[in-house]
Amino acid sequence: MFKSRIAITGIGVFCAAGEDVPAFTASLREGRSGIGPVHLFDVSSFPSHIGAEIRGYDPRDRFDRKDAARLSRADQFAVIAAHEALRRSGVLEWYDSFDQGVSVGAGAAGMFHGEQWFKGALKGRREDPSLLSGVLPDRTATALASRFGISGYQGSITTACSSSATAIGWGADLVASGRLKAVLCGGTDALSLLTYAGFNSLRVVDENPCAPFSLGRAGISLGEGAAFMVLEQEDEARRRGAVILGTILGYAMTGEGYHMTAPEPTGSEAARVMRAAVEHAGISADDVCWVNAHGTGTPLNDVVETKGMKLVFGERAPLVPLVSTKAVTGHCLGAAGAIEALATIIAMNNGFIPKTLHFRGADPECDLEYCHGGRRESEATIALSNSFAFGGNITTLVIGR
Amino acid sequence: MSEIPLVITGVGAVSSAGVGVEPLMDAIRCGRRCFQPLPDALARESGAEWAPATDFRVADFMPPLKARKFDRCSQFAIAATGMALQDAGLAVEELDRTRIGIALGCGFGGITNSEEFLKGFFSSGAAGLIPMLFPNTVPNAPASNASIEHRLKGPNVTMVQRFCSAESALLMAQRFIEEGRADVMIVGGVDEITPVILKGFSALGQLRPGGAGQGFTEGSGILVLERADHAVRRGARIRGSLLKVATIGLLPSGREQEGLSRILAGVSDPELELVSLSGVAAGRPELAGFYPRTPRLDTGALLGRSLAMGGIAMTAHLLTLAPGAIGVHVAASPEGPWFAVTFQGALLSRD
Repeated sequence: MFKSRIAITGIGVFCAAGEDVPAFTASLREGRSGIGPVHLFDVSSFPSHIGAEIRGYDPRDRFDRKDAARLSRADQFAVIAAHEALRRSGVLEWYDSFDQGVSVGAGAAGMFHGEQWFKGALKGRREDPSLLSGVLPDRTATALASRFGISGYQGSITTACSSSATAIGWGADLVASGRLKAVLCGGTDALSLLTYAGFNSLRVVDENPCAPFSLGRAGISLGEGAAFMVLEQEDEARRRGAVILGTILGYAMTGEGYHMTAPEPTGSEAARVMRAAVEHAGISADDVCWVNAHGTGTPLNDVVETKGMKLVFGERAPLVPLVSTKAVTGHCLGAAGAIEALATIIAMNNGFIPKTLHFRGADPECDLEYCHGGRRESEATIALSNSFAFGGNITTLVIGR
Repeated sequence: MSEIPLVITGVGAVSSAGVGVEPLMDAIRCGRRCFQPLPDALARESGAEWAPATDFRVADFMPPLKARKFDRCSQFAIAATGMALQDAGLAVEELDRTRIGIALGCGFGGITNSEEFLKGFFSSGAAGLIPMLFPNTVPNAPASNASIEHRLKGPNVTMVQRFCSAESALLMAQRFIEEGRADVMIVGGVDEITPVILKGFSALGQLRPGGAGQGFTEGSGILVLERADHAVRRGARIRGSLLKVATIGLLPSGREQEGLSRILAGVSDPELELVSLSGVAAGRPELAGFYPRTPRLDTGALLGRSLAMGGIAMTAHLLTLAPGAIGVHVAASPEGPWFAVTFQGALLSRD
């Protein structure tokens, strides 16, 4: 359990479902999906042709020429979302630079540019080497620390689809442990041929917009974007008059130690991480009002997550909505956990539980409440957000209103 | 200081010096450089060197069919983790596996598999894709594969942060034990250096003498970090204590000395027996005023550098410390972060 309450005092988001918090809030409330045709690269040879691409994005609209060239697509998304979060929180002006840190969850990072270099090199062409500068996933944290003058800490978590959920949990811990007074934490990722081709080759991409927990679901819809939040001790935040948007009550992360790509099938590992998070937060499972699912829309994940819910919540499981916002945002891989954490905070602050979109029919193996029928009004005060990843790296955040 | 006493009870290494900690320490004691010239086909620059782990034979650690499942980084991590667990005398099956976790720094993991996977697509379209390559394109593959192979079910994380990737993982591992999330954490770094990575360095002009890609190495350095009372209870041999992990994100212009003082304060020259320099720390002038009389160990100058070299450097540092002696491992990256990790040799700290 954290020794002090960790307050969220700023949030920012940039994704296909909304390019700032107000737009993202509207998409969540109205059940508007960002999934559509992908134009970023040629997808004609894959079974799926769709994704949650940030369409019409032109870096020159937001960055000067030097930064537009220097920062990868993923880095740029991060700067945009982080700027919104920092502006809302006002921490940069309040704490010393050495008392603030950056914790980033990363995924494919600058691979979108890097693979253009690979392609040219394969054909013997001398491509612009700057295409490689953002390939390593730690580049974003360095870029954010440097740009915003944050000197206390920079770290990048690279556990695939759970990266940014863990980066938020770790960010909260850096504050709770007293190492830092404020942490900018979240995640970013950009669509890339590598991930698009990769998930298609594994046959886990749905040709239609993903339909989490529905009968006939066939897999994920890929997405891209970034989400960041600013965390600080609640007492300090109140003292400086900050607006408190929510709290990170606790988190857990663990390794299934089972299989590189398949989840443990009985749901016991999913249950273990949810229970550990609840315990870390110092609450009871009875206090949890709903769960923002990992909810990818793959046949296996959704059944396993459903089984895990039953193990954690027992007879109460049908009363605890398990909703997936991935049908709104797409699966944003390294940024998914952060975007979903933000969706959870936003929904709680606005008094609703989001709808799980694209219902195709009831799956007898997914027999809980998924809010397929529509958004629910809610006075929820505590929710979980699950993020599961390749390698069995699984994380659950406990988020308070 | 750590909130609760933490000790290191096992070490394992695959490095350019060889397989195991014995060749690593032999290279350190003899001052043996483990570099070799880059093949002409890989570098346009003359005089460029690298330090591959040429003695590593994956068949010594797993059957060939199983080895094919893993990328080179994962093979290193699985092998070094096995050595460290054995050195620590940890019988995983007799303990609560959910209390044994792993935190690794990994710099270039996944890049080579990514290139190979994409090569299939760029050569033959979607029909050229080899699905089994894709899962190991993620940097967490080494830690995750090691956890699967060694049946570790505790906290599991992979970090990358420039030349301080392994130290970043150590900070997290330390916290996990202090918080009670784990009793034992496998911690360290893993990296690979392959032709495709060298081609990238070459394209970026980093294989020139003094360039950032010059003298890169690969391998894995692993330490078994354990709560002291847990180690004592199971009768483990204690190789040293972890006293403190301090970090800053970057050194802002004009506040360099203040920043370094924040992480280096607390231990002064007369008390120190050894300063280990990792990443780019050896070349940083800001450090000149700190510990002027303490002997320095620059592992990278002998074995090569990598983003997760801290695993090997911290292993060498710990094994160099005399019983009871205190040493500081300082790691730096050009744009940050900086780390200072304080170890004590052999004797259990009473702090």
